[in-house]
Amino acid sequence: MNERRTTWLLIAVLAGQLLLLSVQAPAAAAGGGDNFLESTVLRGVAPLAHLVSSVVQGGRGLGDDWRLRGNLAEENAALQRRVDELELEVMRLSSLESEVDRLSEALDYRQSSERALRVADVVYADHSSWLRTLILYVGDQPAVVNQPVISEDGLVGRVVEVVPHYAKVQLITDRAAAVGAMIHRTRRQGVVRSGPGGLELDFLPQQADVRVGDRVVTSGIDGIYPRDLPVGVITAVAHGEELFYDLHLEPAVDFGVLDQVYLLAPQPIPAEME
Amino acid sequence: MTRLLRFAAALLSVVLLHVLGVSLVPEFARVIDLFLVLTVLYAMGGDPLVGLLVGLAAGLCHDVFTGGLFALHGFADTLVGYGLARLVQRLVIDRVSGAFLVAGVASAVQQVVLAGLVLLLLPEPELPEPVWIVVRAAATGAAAAAVLLASRNLRQGLAERRQRRSQRLHLD
Repeated sequence: MNERRTTWLLIAVLAGQLLLLSVQAPAAAAGGGDNFLESTVLRGVAPLAHLVSSVVQGGRGLGDDWRLRGNLAEENAALQRRVDELELEVMRLSSLESEVDRLSEALDYRQSSERALRVADVVYADHSSWLRTLILYVGDQPAVVNQPVISEDGLVGRVVEVVPHYAKVQLITDRAAAVGAMIHRTRRQGVVRSGPGGLELDFLPQQADVRVGDRVVTSGIDGIYPRDLPVGVITAVAHGEELFYDLHLEPAVDFGVLDQVYLLAPQPIPAEME
Repeated sequence: MTRLLRFAAALLSVVLLHVLGVSLVPEFARVIDLFLVLTVLYAMGGDPLVGLLVGLAAGLCHDVFTGGLFALHGFADTLVGYGLARLVQRLVIDRVSGAFLVAGVASAVQQVVLAGLVLLLLPEPELPEPVWIVVRAAATGAAAAAVLLASRNLRQGLAERRQRRSQRLHLD
């Protein structure tokens, strides 16, 4: 191909990509987006990531097994003690739950139905670079766009791209992500977003009662995440320039150690309510 | 066809190495861009079409492993691949230190293009810290130089072996 044709090809390729980027930009700013080209490349590349992740985890598992062989008896005894403690806790919580049910019935209050959880393997996690992301292996049952993703410690993010067996997740630490959240102690609501210094809780007026160490949970008002999922803990409280606080959060989840996460069954807002 | 297969194998290796690196060292993706190393090495051949196409394919593959907008790396790597190939047509880069410099500058240019695109397209963008731009440029440059050196040594070794064998045949 001659030089002139190559230059025209370059212009066409760059213009095409620029168009693709500008089409995605409003959706990304609004927190959504799903595109055919990305799905196609993800479909080809995700199985490779899965393969490497399986090999690495297998290797780590072997190493851990070898290390743990020495103190199995000791660990077994500790786990048995922990099981006993947890059984007592379950008994206590069961009695509390039945009490709540009785009171709810008396008040004619219907609780929102519990959402089903599904395990998904993390096959690729980049939480350190400035364009952070997570790719999951979800098995035969496909994930759904906007499906909440959680770990044992709290909220991880939501699904933004779906291909057969795999899903791409937008982490709550992504600049484009926003989570309806509230202070657990006072139920005061705001929005968790990622800022230059990490996670921030925005739109909390300065007359609100906020302290360092307050737990922040989801408020359930964004139509994506259910209520009361741990998001993080307040680490710094400062008076902002406007009417609101500058609040910094430590995420509840350590994104560096995620190897399995849970997909919460989606519970979309009914169409007539939107 | 052989060139295409060779490129596919190289891209596959880069994907595997990238995922392996991120699995073992969490900061890997922040420190080095293997997809750009591949683009730089192909672009150093001096063919702008090859630089363009390799940059496009490697960049789009990289985009799958990043959050944010899809085709950010595709755009930046296409531009870098083409630009570098055009530059190489005018410069003779024979030394490994030259390759290190060229790949490092290519990485810095790529990151500036990425930051520019993000600033242009997103309302409240997150940008890479300047120190990480330098670290990444240095690491990408070093990786490109190392691959170039290794391939040159390998080629030289093979040529010497071939020469020795032909000399032996003459003696026989």
